[in-house]
Amino acid sequence: MKRASLGEFEEVVLLTVAVLEVQGQAYGVAITHEIIEETGRSVRLNQIHAALQRLEDKGMVKSEMGEPTAERGGRRKRLFTVTAYGRRTLQEIQDVRASLWTRLVSPFKLSTSL
Amino acid sequence: MKSAPNPPRWADRLLNVICAPDRLEEVQGDLREEFAYQIDRIGERRARWRYVWDVLGFVKSPPVARRHGAYSTTYLMNPTMLRNYLKIAFRNLVKNKTFSGVNILGLALGMACSLLIMLWVQDELSIDAFHANKQQLYRIYMREYFSGKVQGVIWTPGPLADELKKSIPEIQLSTPYEWVSDQTFSVGSKVNKQATNAASADFFKMFSYKLLQGTPEAALKDRNSLAISRSMAESFFGSPEAAIGKTIRFDNRKDLLITAVFENIAKNSTLKFDCLRNWDEFVEDNAWAKGWESTDPLTFFMIRPDADPAKVEAKITHLLDKFNRDGNKPVHTELAMQPFHDYYLNSNFKNAQIDGGRIEYVRLFTIVAVFILLIACINFMNLATARSGKRAKEVGVRKVVGAMRSLLIGQFVGEALLLTVFAIFLAILFVALLLPSFNSLTDKQISLPINDLSFWGILAGLTLLTGLLAGSYPAFFLSALNPIRVLKGAMKVDTKSTWLRQGLVVFQFALSIILIVGMIIIYRQVEYVQTKNLGYDRENLVYFPLEGDLVKNYDVLKEQISQIPSIKHVSHMTASPASNGSGTEGISWTGSDPNGKVRFTPVGVGYDFVETMNLSVADGRDFSKAYPTDSTGFLINEAALKVIGYKNPIGKIINWGNGKGAIIGVLKDFHFQSLHTSIRPLIAYLSTDSRRQGGNVIVRIEAGKTKEALAQLEALCKKMNPKFPFTYSFTDQEYARQYQSEQVVSKLSNYFAFLAIFISCLGLFGLATFTAEQRTKEIGVRKVLGASVSSIVGLLSQDFLKLVAIAILVASPIAWWAMNQWLQGFAYKIDIEWWMFVVAGILSAAIALLTVSFQSIKAALMNPVKSLRAE
Repeated sequence: MKRASLGEFEEVVLLTVAVLEVQGQAYGVAITHEIIEETGRSVRLNQIHAALQRLEDKGMVKSEMGEPTAERGGRRKRLFTVTAYGRRTLQEIQDVRASLWTRLVSPFKLSTSL
Repeated sequence: MKSAPNPPRWADRLLNVICAPDRLEEVQGDLREEFAYQIDRIGERRARWRYVWDVLGFVKSPPVARRHGAYSTTYLMNPTMLRNYLKIAFRNLVKNKTFSGVNILGLALGMACSLLIMLWVQDELSIDAFHANKQQLYRIYMREYFSGKVQGVIWTPGPLADELKKSIPEIQLSTPYEWVSDQTFSVGSKVNKQATNAASADFFKMFSYKLLQGTPEAALKDRNSLAISRSMAESFFGSPEAAIGKTIRFDNRKDLLITAVFENIAKNSTLKFDCLRNWDEFVEDNAWAKGWESTDPLTFFMIRPDADPAKVEAKITHLLDKFNRDGNKPVHTELAMQPFHDYYLNSNFKNAQIDGGRIEYVRLFTIVAVFILLIACINFMNLATARSGKRAKEVGVRKVVGAMRSLLIGQFVGEALLLTVFAIFLAILFVALLLPSFNSLTDKQISLPINDLSFWGILAGLTLLTGLLAGSYPAFFLSALNPIRVLKGAMKVDTKSTWLRQGLVVFQFALSIILIVGMIIIYRQVEYVQTKNLGYDRENLVYFPLEGDLVKNYDVLKEQISQIPSIKHVSHMTASPASNGSGTEGISWTGSDPNGKVRFTPVGVGYDFVETMNLSVADGRDFSKAYPTDSTGFLINEAALKVIGYKNPIGKIINWGNGKGAIIGVLKDFHFQSLHTSIRPLIAYLSTDSRRQGGNVIVRIEAGKTKEALAQLEALCKKMNPKFPFTYSFTDQEYARQYQSEQVVSKLSNYFAFLAIFISCLGLFGLATFTAEQRTKEIGVRKVLGASVSSIVGLLSQDFLKLVAIAILVASPIAWWAMNQWLQGFAYKIDIEWWMFVVAGILSAAIALLTVSFQSIKAALMNPVKSLRAE
């Protein structure tokens, strides 16, 4: 696998961005809440911001400023979208895992071995 | 109705500082949105905490991404760069524990010392500054001309205060002020001694002592009135309210009426008393205070707000010429004045002009504090420049990348400031810990003015000053490095900077040596003062007031005391043995200069005075019951004989006022005042039944029998004088008390000298560490070639010892001059001897050697294999 490595947490964030960008909701707070709900981790805002920034540096996401909203005190949000490179990276990771899963001799199942 | 709740504003400000400007909007937006969400979820209060928590998260890792073309507009205070500076500074601090420790500890000690001194100086300057009229208050002093000399005198004639008010329109109010003495007061069966003084009715109008009861106008108006302090009121009557208007018995002779109760006098007042009698009433008991010849009280006055002090002074100069006439002989005494709040710090005379006093100690300590701080700063400079090689690469890289010199200077000064900030917190801790002992040493009640904003301002100022002082030279030095040379790796030790470093070390040690010499000389002088043969024996000499019924039954008392086996001699005198400040000018003799009066110190004494005090008689004899004519005779001391100039004095006649008497004995000079002044002419007369006033009974106790003697004395006095509590004083203690300020200076000088040498050695330790580090390879080679450990230690130490030697040479003359100045304040003083400098030199050299050798031995013992492995 010769590509810019993606940390596990970054991967989760990137996936979340991919999920939320459809509704135009891929920005700091929304991503944070989403991840908290999905993974049950206690994530802080700054970690998400840092991860998004790293992803942007790696070229996995790009961003632009959205519309100002009232609850943000009239501040704009930065909306993220996953780039093609980002999608491909996610796909590659997924493929690697899938192929490894298929090669598993006995997949883990909840069973009682007699 | 509240608008939407806002998160804590300071957290937002913090964010402004740390967050890259082009990222601020989205981050803050996110935070706000989160905040609104959390309010719904967990309530406003917890949401606020949560907000702060989130912001702090960003402090840890602020978003710093830069988009193309979105560069921050802040230039100098660029957050990214600041963070880098801080990071580098912290890394350097943590990496070089020795150096950071040396610097922080040194600076902290220096700053703690400065802070303490600053607090002390502030306290000294606040003394007597609380009087509302302080701009108009003055005290009188006199210039007396006699036999071609002039001397300054603070004691003034009793009637002077009234005369000033009468004859000079600019003078609004005036009062004589006597000397505080312990007097007995009683109400019913309650008896107590109180520090008592006397002043005129103007006193409370002039000075701002807070009256709890009574008015300033009425306080001392009547002859029988008495103003007492809150504590005295409480001890006799329970409260100030209960005391006002009551009578109190004074000296078991008179009833006085309490017309005012004042708040207990604070430490920042030079005038201290428990109660004030009315001046006219005082004069009733002390007839001499009516006359112009005797001088005893101080005189204070207040001028009108619009009056010109210079004009007033011109008017009072010759005021005394029309009085003091004694057979039409004008007395050459001029009056002069001094601002009242000034006299606590300026009380010394030089040629009858006010010349310094405690203010010199204030100046001295300020200078010392600055010096100690300077020594600490020099440590920082030396270590920073010495270690410049370590930071050279960093400077080189920064310069190549495009840092301007001003930025680099800013960076290094900033680092120094950071260190100073650590140090000041440590210093505050030190001060807080040291204050109690410092207060007990200097007899003050200083506290850390934590609530005072100006104090924090001072702290900030001190930090800034120290940081700049310590950091500026290294900053210039480091920022001037040539990047090309540095990055090539050729980092030669700059000889110029070595010179400067050595110069600074010499300077440090010179200062330390000056302080050590000072310490030795002050200590010796204080010891000299305390062990000097005073011409009388002050050991085992107890005195107690001759008062109440004892005055008229003195002969019985003397008889009774003589019976006590542990008591050798007993006599009495009108003054106390250790200090006698009164004076008279009414003395003349055949051939005395009619135009120049001489101030004699008069003292009334009982029989056996000479024996009790253990004085030596140079000529003639003591008063004796065998000669009835002695009742008009005089004893004089050698100083008086010198003034009078008789060849064979015994039997010669002296006139005193209207009386006359023969000299019956000449006493060898003894010190009846402190050693600051030379021995004055003394005249002693016999104070017997008709002429006996109060004063003190003096008792010579057999050595080691003090306890039982005092017990028996007390029992005897209780029996003979039941209305008065028995109080006594030890002459040696009273004598020592006169040198309290010298004692304090002596102790403080010890601490200062110790601090100075300690901080200097801290720096030396740092430098030695550095040199040893620099020369590891050289030492390795030398060891391989067979050098012994001791030769290497010598090699490393000799550089430093040279510096200390130079410092000794530099410091000695300065120290000699400075200490000579200090000793001028004593009429009797030690000589400065050469061995003191030798001791100071050896001491500092030894300490320096010890410091350096610790490092050099460590270096010399290193295994050369290790140090040379890399070659």
